[in-house]
Amino acid sequence: MNYRTFMILFSAIHFLLFLPSAVQSQSDTNETAAGDVVLVQAQMCEDIQGQTPQNATTVFSIERRKAICFTSFDPVPVETVIYHHWFHRDRSSARIKLSLKPPRWSTYSSIQFRAQDIGPWRVEITDANGQIFQILRFSITE
Amino acid sequence: MEKIIALAASLRWQDVIEISLLSYILFRFYVLFRGTNAFRVLIGLTILWFFQQVAVSIGLTVTTGWSRQLLSWGPLIIIVIFRNEIRTVLQASHIKALLWDVSSKTVFSTIEIVVQSVQEMAARKCGALIVFPGKDDVEELIQKGISWKGDISKEMILSIFWPDNPVHDGAAIVQGDQIVQVSVILPLSRRDDIPTYYGTRHRAALGLAEVSDALILAVSEERGDVVVAHDGKLKVIKQKRKLEQILQEHKGVASKKGRELIKEKLMVAAAALFCVIFITGVWFSVSRGGDTLLTLESPVVYLKRDPSMEIVQTSVNSVSLELEGSGALIKSIKPNQVQVKFDLSKAKAGPNSFTITRESISLPPGIVLKRVTPTVVEVDLDVLIEKELPVQIDWVGRLPDHFILTEAEVEPETVTVIGGKRILENISTLYTEKVPLNNLEVQGTITANLALTPASLKIAPDSKEKVTITYLTKLRNQ
Repeated sequence: MNYRTFMILFSAIHFLLFLPSAVQSQSDTNETAAGDVVLVQAQMCEDIQGQTPQNATTVFSIERRKAICFTSFDPVPVETVIYHHWFHRDRSSARIKLSLKPPRWSTYSSIQFRAQDIGPWRVEITDANGQIFQILRFSITE
Repeated sequence: MEKIIALAASLRWQDVIEISLLSYILFRFYVLFRGTNAFRVLIGLTILWFFQQVAVSIGLTVTTGWSRQLLSWGPLIIIVIFRNEIRTVLQASHIKALLWDVSSKTVFSTIEIVVQSVQEMAARKCGALIVFPGKDDVEELIQKGISWKGDISKEMILSIFWPDNPVHDGAAIVQGDQIVQVSVILPLSRRDDIPTYYGTRHRAALGLAEVSDALILAVSEERGDVVVAHDGKLKVIKQKRKLEQILQEHKGVASKKGRELIKEKLMVAAAALFCVIFITGVWFSVSRGGDTLLTLESPVVYLKRDPSMEIVQTSVNSVSLELEGSGALIKSIKPNQVQVKFDLSKAKAGPNSFTITRESISLPPGIVLKRVTPTVVEVDLDVLIEKELPVQIDWVGRLPDHFILTEAEVEPETVTVIGGKRILENISTLYTEKVPLNNLEVQGTITANLALTPASLKIAPDSKEKVTITYLTKLRNQ
């Protein structure tokens, strides 16, 4: 019931690009995960403009209303799926399935905030088998 | 009758020892202090105690309060007023005499020495005055002489009363097997009916005999006769055997015969029986009174837990005990005397259920458990394991609107914690305590403590308890 109250916004952005590899949020990386698909960028950000993450951060004021988890993969040998698994503390909040298409693919998911969402969060980026690519950590504050 | 049998059956061996010991102490007090004024006052106080109990039972409030006040001061009054009498009894007795009985052998030999000495002084017409105090304290009746404290011997008595001895002109006081004072001045009798041939020595002997229960021997210089002053009377004693008998009777070791002996033995037996009955009655009224109920919250103590396991959760931390006992015992209960204990040596990881039995509750003697709530305690145990967890910052507050926090690194990134296996299975992140954003500068380093939730978690010895946070803020792109 708790996490069903989320308004989950997700969409796929279709563009090909070569992005710098700097990931600036507090994150845990598993570089050996998910076979041939390679995660090249993962960021928590406030917005996406022109297919680029804007205002990458690890702290979101609840007044900002939403947080976005942006991920980019290169290469993507075959069409596959990945998951963005959102946790508020250690409680699962949402598990969002996203498609990846060859040869490169960027995609994102987001959540909209409610008052009770204040606190530490993490997003586990996994392949279809649950193998973790990376964990992004952030906080929602007042 | 059944109730009496049930009460007797409930006695433990410690209770029997306690009743026996207290009865014997009371009996010894009777033996040591019988015939003294202090003993008579003690009897009076005992009667007053019974009177108070009756007053309490029929609800006489003012009388109860008054008698209670008087009784509370009673022991102090006895000790203060009769301190000399008590001291006399205790000083005059050996440790063996205090604990068991008066050693007749010593007394007999002392009496024999005194009688022989007196007979010899009488034959030599050497004047002498020897005081044998009874139960009464004579210290306040006499004018104190010279402290002597010498073991009695014939030679010493003869030398004390030798006419050329500076201390011969006074009385010698005998206590136990010692002469404790010499050259003591006794109060003179003012009676007119004393024969004229009796001088000051006999008048002094009679004077003390009139105001105390002491026995005084006077040896006349002129006539060489031996006079015993006792109970306000003077009596000339000519036979050695008679003098011995009088002294033995005075010391309470006389070889009594026939009905007198039987009567005394019966008295002692009756006193002993009374002491046992009295103490038994008091003991049962105190320890098995059962007239007061007390409800007590007692903490539950878990013992012999496997060191590799920890208690995750218990259904209760304390249980409510309804106790019954006499008012005195209930009032004297201290919290640490009542404990509910469970042996966890056979407990397994996971939920365990323990039924609270009488054996799991330790109570002071004489207290009866009437009810316990709850009757069952659930204890959840877990195996202790170590787990390395990533650390995440728990930010609070807010940055100015035009700033965003772009970087925040934690050092160390992971910390090892020790805790219950089932708890740690559900924990994948260790959070810091709340870190306020409001005070952040453009960039910097701060330290933060780790928030261990639940509190049963512990940082492993080789891990740090604090983390360092390095952060960087930037202007927001509008």
